[in-house]
Amino acid sequence: MDNVYTRSKDIALIEILDRVLDKGVVISGDIVISVADVDLIYVGLKVLLSSVETMNRLKWAEVPCPESPGNL
Amino acid sequence: MNLIYLYCVTDKIPQLKEERDRIYFLRHKGLYAIVRKVPEDEFSEEKLQKNFNNMEWLKIKAYIHEKIIEGVMKDSSSVVPFRLATLFKNEKSLTEMLEKHSEELRRNLKDLEEMEEWGVKGYCDIERLKYLFEIEDMEILETDKKINSSSAGKAFFLRKKREELLNEVINKKINEVSQECLDRLGQHCLRIRLNRLLPEEATGRKDEMILNSAFLVKKNKVKTFIKVVETFKTQSGNRGFCFEYTGPWPPYNFCWQNDKSQTDHG
Repeated sequence: MDNVYTRSKDIALIEILDRVLDKGVVISGDIVISVADVDLIYVGLKVLLSSVETMNRLKWAEVPCPESPGNL
Repeated sequence: MNLIYLYCVTDKIPQLKEERDRIYFLRHKGLYAIVRKVPEDEFSEEKLQKNFNNMEWLKIKAYIHEKIIEGVMKDSSSVVPFRLATLFKNEKSLTEMLEKHSEELRRNLKDLEEMEEWGVKGYCDIERLKYLFEIEDMEILETDKKINSSSAGKAFFLRKKREELLNEVINKKINEVSQECLDRLGQHCLRIRLNRLLPEEATGRKDEMILNSAFLVKKNKVKTFIKVVETFKTQSGNRGFCFEYTGPWPPYNFCWQNDKSQTDHG
């Protein structure tokens, strides 16, 4: 699998969070963060997804640039 | 002040190429812990509580975490991945952890040799499935006929009955399809782990998640495994079902602490 190293950037965030947040070895290291409320994080994820959508929309929409002196 | 962030443990000297990112390894009795020094003012307990609620932060850290473990995976036959933000105060306390759990880690690494984790998620377009039952299911069609020829009062109860019936057949169908998927894939893996279903907010999809599963597959069986998923995907697709697979993953789902909820397959 030569492409395993570069693959992660193409994978959906949800696939990664589904694993790294509540799976893998759970050792109580010296610093303990509770991720028991993973559902809350997923709710936050929706906010992120929609903000990305908004960003894309803004990027593609043809809006006149307010800073341009011609629009004043 | 810095903390030690632990990504994964392996039993072969890792070939690390990212020295500029301050990633290095600690060796203890034949185990190699892949770590990085991270600033305390970003990763202290208090800061983490805040940062875990910051989706942008979480997103970046999750991708880095995954990327680093994948990098180690590329050169090692076996890796035990740790959960996001597993942190130690210093190298000494990390070494103590390695000492305390060296047996489990070694056993786990041996079990995972020449293995890959693959994920399969199943989704169902419930509306489509409902529609199919409404036009095909004999019992539903019979009930529809009865409703049409009944008095208003009787039709009301029949409609209720029809709704219950529809839910029942849909649930039955979803269970059957999921079970069929697990049965077929179970023949080509060593272990299966079922995970909880993710809500629509998380998947961002319109269809509903009906299966969230992880499989531990021998490397030389991966091609067959994928072929079986592809076939199943095609066969179930026209009924409103959708199955997606991803991998190879670090074996997050097959670490020793997760053993209780796994199903073994010979």
